[in-house]
Amino acid sequence: MKKIRIGHKSTQRQQRWFVGLMVILFFPCFFYLKLDLNQFKDGLHQIPHIANMMMQMSFDQFPDLMDGLLTSLIIAFLTVVISVVISFFLAFVIATNTAPVPLLAKIIRAIIVIIRTIPVTIWVLLAVASIGFGSMAGVLGLIFPTVAFLTRVFSDQIDEAGKDIIEAVKAVGGGWWNLVFNGVTPQLMTAFLASIAFNFEITVAETVILGIVGAGGIGVLLQEYISFYDFKPLTLGILIVFITLFLLEMTTNLIRLRLSGRGHK
Amino acid sequence: MQTAAAVKQKKLKRNVSYALFAAAVVFSLWYIQFSFSEFISGIPIFLHFLFTDFLPPKASDLPSYLQPVLDTLAYGVVATVLASIIGLLFGFLMARQTTPHPAIRTVLRGFISLLRNIPFLVWASILVVIFGVGSMPGIFSLILFGSGFLARVYAEAIEEIDSHATEALDAMGAGYLQKIKHAVIPAFIPGFISWTLFMFELSIRASSILGLVGAGGIGSQIKLTMDLFQYNRTSTVICILIVMILVIEFMTKRIRERLI
Repeated sequence: MKKIRIGHKSTQRQQRWFVGLMVILFFPCFFYLKLDLNQFKDGLHQIPHIANMMMQMSFDQFPDLMDGLLTSLIIAFLTVVISVVISFFLAFVIATNTAPVPLLAKIIRAIIVIIRTIPVTIWVLLAVASIGFGSMAGVLGLIFPTVAFLTRVFSDQIDEAGKDIIEAVKAVGGGWWNLVFNGVTPQLMTAFLASIAFNFEITVAETVILGIVGAGGIGVLLQEYISFYDFKPLTLGILIVFITLFLLEMTTNLIRLRLSGRGHK
Repeated sequence: MQTAAAVKQKKLKRNVSYALFAAAVVFSLWYIQFSFSEFISGIPIFLHFLFTDFLPPKASDLPSYLQPVLDTLAYGVVATVLASIIGLLFGFLMARQTTPHPAIRTVLRGFISLLRNIPFLVWASILVVIFGVGSMPGIFSLILFGSGFLARVYAEAIEEIDSHATEALDAMGAGYLQKIKHAVIPAFIPGFISWTLFMFELSIRASSILGLVGAGGIGSQIKLTMDLFQYNRTSTVICILIVMILVIEFMTKRIRERLI
């Protein structure tokens, strides 16, 4: 990306600005960190050894890993189910065109911003610290960021759905519950389902690693293998995680494609 | 118009999917021995923990966290710059218009998806084993993850570019590098800036949790204080983290508005 001159002036300015900023920030930061060359060399010498151990993949732990994977998937599934129920109502409370109490909506919005700023891993860490290790802590910790995410997505979708349907329901004298269940929800069902599918994908990716902080699932096993230098089953574990996430990505893409296809009809 | 039979079939289909869903929930609850009573009673415990053990944050030792904050920022900058260089290289090799050979594109796509789909904390823990505790595994895992992420989004940004400019240059007999220089790069710059800034945000968020596996940054303070049960110090660190993330989001937003 260095010094490629192009005639276009504003492009040139942007480039100089940005590349300059990157270079100016990079060097002080790089030297500030004082990366140790010897540590780097030692590490490089380790790599063939560890790679060699990882190559000797063993299937001994396969049942355990599958059990862990299923637990991870279940944690994600339950989290999403519970979160969808909560955030469905919260979304109608905070969406600007359906909010019953505007002040309450504002407060909830602010709380959501704060919840979303804290990384998911830290929520789970807090849950583990308060109610102990296990899948329950995983679900509890994940619920906060998931509810925050889904509430925001849902409320955005409700806002986008426009005023027409809301006015129509109000005009015939429908109350708030009619508005929610007979007005907006049927129209937005596909949009909601698509975002739920997307959210499930993200949550699974998160539960897989959450075992590392003690929230159950396959991550616990991976963490154990790594800390005991037991690299033989680790490769299998990583492979299982990779295949799961890959398949999930493909499935949700397919679901979203189908849902959006149906939505356009 | 739908016939009665079609309506009936639709209804049946819906009922079957409800039943399957219910079965999945029941199975899940049974499999991880999830008890609702315990879970519901867990929520007050959690909130109680949050508001009594955790809050208020202990503000007295704020200066001692300056070092980890600077570390985290430096990780973010170094990892973003290096990942964007690697990502650019891979991105150009991967994008349909700029790839030298379709086979390279397929192979790289597979490789990058492997990089991306293995969770970031797993990379970090493996690198901690290789390089030992410290800032090195943290930075390397950020770079590894970041190059995968950036290569993919850069390639997508390049593929989204209108093909008119490249076709025009093709027609004039421009070479490969000339095409990249005069057609691809000018159109790609906004996407590049935007995604690189986003990567910086991501790396700040990520380096906050890197410490949990022993890879340095502000996350190590979170782990340290929690292991010592000094929860009000943990909340100080988390507050710093929130402020840091918000400030960085605000700054990147401003830069984006000015440059694009």
